[in-house]
Amino acid sequence: MSILAILFLVLGLGFVAWFAARAKAAGFQPENGIRPHSRPGHHGWYVALWAIVPALIFLAVWANIAPGLTMAAAIESPAGAGLPSPGMERSAILSEVRGLADGRIQGGFYPKAQEMLPAYKAARMRYGIAGASLALILALAGGTYAFTRLRPDFRARTRVERVVMIGLLVASLIAILTTLGIVASLLVETMRFFSKVSPVEFLFGTSWSPQTAMRADQVGSSGAFGAIPLFWGTIFIGAIIAMVVAIPLGLMSAIYLTQYAAPAVRKWLKPILEVLAGVPTVVYGYFAALTVAPAVRSFAVMAGIPGASSESALAAGLVMGIMIIPFVSSMADDSIAAVPQAMRDGSLAMGATTSETIRKVLVPAALPGVVGGVLLAVSRAIGETMIVVMAAGLAANLTANPFASVTTVTTQIVQLLTGDQEFDSPKTLAAFALGLVLFIVTLLLNIVALRVVKKYREAYE
Amino acid sequence: MNSATATAELRRPTDWKGSAMQNRIRRRYAAERRFKLLGLLSILVSAAFLAFLLVTMIGNGARGFTQTEIRLPVDFPRSSLMLDPAALAGFGADAALAGADIEGTTAAAADAAFGAGGARLLSDGAWLSVRDAIKRDPAILRGKAEIWVPAATAIDLAAKGNAAPAAEAAYGKLQKADVVRTGFNWTFLTRADSTDPTLVGIWGALKGSLVTMFVTLVLAFPVGVFAALYLEEYAPRNRWTDLIEVSINNLAAVPSIIFGLLGLAVFLNFMHLPRSAPLVGGLTLALMTMPVIVIAGRNAIKAVPPSIRDAALGIGASRVQVVFHHVLPLALPGILTGTIIGMARALGETAPLLMIGMRAFLASPPGGIMDPATVLPVQIFLWSDEVSRGFVEKTSAAIIVLLVFLLAMNGVAIYLRNRFERRW
Repeated sequence: MSILAILFLVLGLGFVAWFAARAKAAGFQPENGIRPHSRPGHHGWYVALWAIVPALIFLAVWANIAPGLTMAAAIESPAGAGLPSPGMERSAILSEVRGLADGRIQGGFYPKAQEMLPAYKAARMRYGIAGASLALILALAGGTYAFTRLRPDFRARTRVERVVMIGLLVASLIAILTTLGIVASLLVETMRFFSKVSPVEFLFGTSWSPQTAMRADQVGSSGAFGAIPLFWGTIFIGAIIAMVVAIPLGLMSAIYLTQYAAPAVRKWLKPILEVLAGVPTVVYGYFAALTVAPAVRSFAVMAGIPGASSESALAAGLVMGIMIIPFVSSMADDSIAAVPQAMRDGSLAMGATTSETIRKVLVPAALPGVVGGVLLAVSRAIGETMIVVMAAGLAANLTANPFASVTTVTTQIVQLLTGDQEFDSPKTLAAFALGLVLFIVTLLLNIVALRVVKKYREAYE
Repeated sequence: MNSATATAELRRPTDWKGSAMQNRIRRRYAAERRFKLLGLLSILVSAAFLAFLLVTMIGNGARGFTQTEIRLPVDFPRSSLMLDPAALAGFGADAALAGADIEGTTAAAADAAFGAGGARLLSDGAWLSVRDAIKRDPAILRGKAEIWVPAATAIDLAAKGNAAPAAEAAYGKLQKADVVRTGFNWTFLTRADSTDPTLVGIWGALKGSLVTMFVTLVLAFPVGVFAALYLEEYAPRNRWTDLIEVSINNLAAVPSIIFGLLGLAVFLNFMHLPRSAPLVGGLTLALMTMPVIVIAGRNAIKAVPPSIRDAALGIGASRVQVVFHHVLPLALPGILTGTIIGMARALGETAPLLMIGMRAFLASPPGGIMDPATVLPVQIFLWSDEVSRGFVEKTSAAIIVLLVFLLAMNGVAIYLRNRFERRW
């Protein structure tokens, strides 16, 4: 019997338990004028939880240990005598037995596997039945125990609510677990990478070529892992070109929408920015590669700029800048809205025009908020993947020519991890080291940005 | 004496009507107009970009939804096809079809009908249409039949006015013979990936997306809502709660590719879940979407006025009852809006799924959450890499489908917000 079928059986038992307990509790009469402590539904849930939860915990454990037990039994059986000693061949035979039994493999390669198959199947049957009956017994026992405890003065609600609270707490702990998981997985793989390539070379080297052997004497000897060109490319595209596009356009958009546009106009213009923010990055990337990059290249060729590439930094940066506009605009919008009305009124009352008020009073006052927003935008731009994967190049150049090809951290992560590579080659591990750098930098940018924004908000409150 | 004149000078009222002041005011007003225009322009730049992007995609993609077909006369009795109609009646029909050389027959028929090299006018998968026609009606094997089969990429592009002169000429000849038509491309909506652009479809990727989104929703929604309830309603103010809040806010800002690395390291290499499976994709995207749901949920819960909690507590409800009977139902529209927006983001996400290997070439849609699958954005990425020119319009067509889905989801979110959200 499959685990899934047992699961449904257990859930069905819980359902029955819920109804039975609720029906029993509904019949409780007030004793000495005191009404029952909990509502019938609470009694129902109490019994249902007792029926389901222990059985589910048992099933979770069982699903993990049963395959091992089954295989052990098959090896112990007479058919399992004469197996080769632990090694490649033995595990190949065992996995073939498993595959044959599941029906994943049709014909076998090892005769030994065919020989063991009946024993394995019998053992699997035995353990399957044992697991199912144990789970059902647990469910029945739990349900019966809880059912016998039901009395009018039994505090079922308190107990059910305690379980609910534990469930809520566990749900919120998943966020911490995820963060820990990210940090741990990145750190572990990065440490393995640094045992093959020195951190100094990774962080300060200027030659990046993970695919081919550069120097025979090099540690890891599969390539050069100097990540400076990657960091530069990331900063060049995400923090320079994209921001040159996004900051003026985003800021001016926010100013126009909040200070000038009539409500009717705003109602029509604002959704444009929202749609721009909702377009998936793969669409931006495709557009950059298909339309913008050739245009940029032919412009560069026309203007006679040397080193023009069809995978230019400029094309990726421009499109990324457009993508970031809504983000910058909404951050600027928030911080301008947070400037006290009195400052604006004061400036206007002194005879300043609206634009003078904006330029000399509102923007300087909102500057910390805007700067915080820009930092968040930078952290978003450098973590952006699809636009640069599709429109920026793979050549790790250290160049300030926006028409040349540069590569970024995220491009290289995708590039390193999408080939057919064994998992512990320095090439694959390098992707995790790059990921760790990216994680730390975006984290720092976010922390600084939030602190700046918070401090500035406090100044006006 | 001197200083007295100076004081008088100072006290003289500003001559607003004088030409100097008038000029100054004019300049300031001109600057004001320029500034306002600049603001309008910067919005219009965004709008123009969006319009350009959409027009390009629709212009390219609309052609991806049409397909040129050629009417192919096949003379079955005189062909090399050894297939008995009786054998196709019942059990064993598939085996009989699989054994027959339909591909060769189709090519021979094309050569006979359109002269030497006629087979090159047809798509590589033209024989599939012939096979389906035979399957539908085995009786056609007894005589001559005319079957509509997909045209080759070059002819398809020529029909759409976008091809090399040689293909144009071939298309012209076909048109004169009145054996071509261009119709809606049902193949595109019903099939999976293929190496031939005339045969590709997005149903495989779309189904992969739907299955992955289902896993994401089932995992992220309850966890997100419960975490939001805990943090807003029950959490004591202490260091643990702060830690939870900080990690949720940080997770919301972590680049999506980092989640892909997490999925690769934990779900694939540590837990040994199957590669390319929607289960792993859904788990990864759920971790990414959960913080969005928590943040939206907390805002929605915060918006429920305290008087409702006080009233419920006052008539004897427990704290769990207050939350589950009153706060949660009232906050649900807001939570759902945030969930749909988070799901829309997850639907358009590509990078983390590339990391966990959902970029395989798959010619059939996934059957379940453990089967290898790909998703719509990844399919777009894969097609965008194809060299064949026929893929350009298919990529754009797939983008249109993706955008339609996103638009629909956002539309539902806006509708929910306007219909159910209450201002207290």
